[in-house]
Amino acid sequence: MAKVVSPFNPANAVTASRFLTLPPFVWAVDHGYHQWATLFILICGLLDKVDGFVAKIFDCRSAFGEVFDAITDGLCYGFALSVVAAYGWAPVAPVVLIILMGLANAWMRLVYGRRAGRTVNYKSYAMERIVAYTGYLVGFATAGYEVAFYYWAFVPLQGVIMLHDAKRMLLDAVPARGEAAR
Amino acid sequence: MNIISDAALHWFVTTLTAGLAGTWVVYDTFNLYRTRNADRSDPIVRDKHFGYVMGIIIGVVGILGCLRAHGVM
Repeated sequence: MAKVVSPFNPANAVTASRFLTLPPFVWAVDHGYHQWATLFILICGLLDKVDGFVAKIFDCRSAFGEVFDAITDGLCYGFALSVVAAYGWAPVAPVVLIILMGLANAWMRLVYGRRAGRTVNYKSYAMERIVAYTGYLVGFATAGYEVAFYYWAFVPLQGVIMLHDAKRMLLDAVPARGEAAR
Repeated sequence: MNIISDAALHWFVTTLTAGLAGTWVVYDTFNLYRTRNADRSDPIVRDKHFGYVMGIIIGVVGILGCLRAHGVM
């Protein structure tokens, strides 16, 4: 019988704590404190790594936790990107494209979950890598580090990954329970 | 209100970016090599290969950005 894991566990608490970095991030951007903004988004990114370790240590991994982690990634990075674009620290056009593709990805994940008929996180090796890049994008903007280059290089990469994942999520057969975790 | 000097931040971001991007290029190249004979009719194997290739490209983009930031390119 599969182990039942409460959604109120240490790993999800660490994931949820990432939202606490957003108010001080906005405060730093609003006051023009580039280094503080970089520090807060760095903490947000580090907590994303810590929750995985905590889940292993406390043996509280769950499908809900994986989906919650993915949603938190999208909300934190999407919000932070919107803030840096609104304050003119990042170019608006690529940020709009990135957020639109992120929303399309969230919708496809929802469709994939419905097709699977259970709470399931769509696992994509390419998407894992581009999400790490997304975290960096905010840091590049706050640090004023080759901002235009990194933002415009990101858009086609995310586009290619979206097309690849769209086929898998919307058209290909959904793997049986446990198969996708290989 | 700075925590460190602007030059230190510049080098900190360079170290973090180039370090991770370089590691990623090596790691995903190794992963791609390790799974080169895996059954490509398996969709998960195909997804892994695609992910490794994208990881290598993202790593190269990261390194190119660092070179640009230091006026090498």
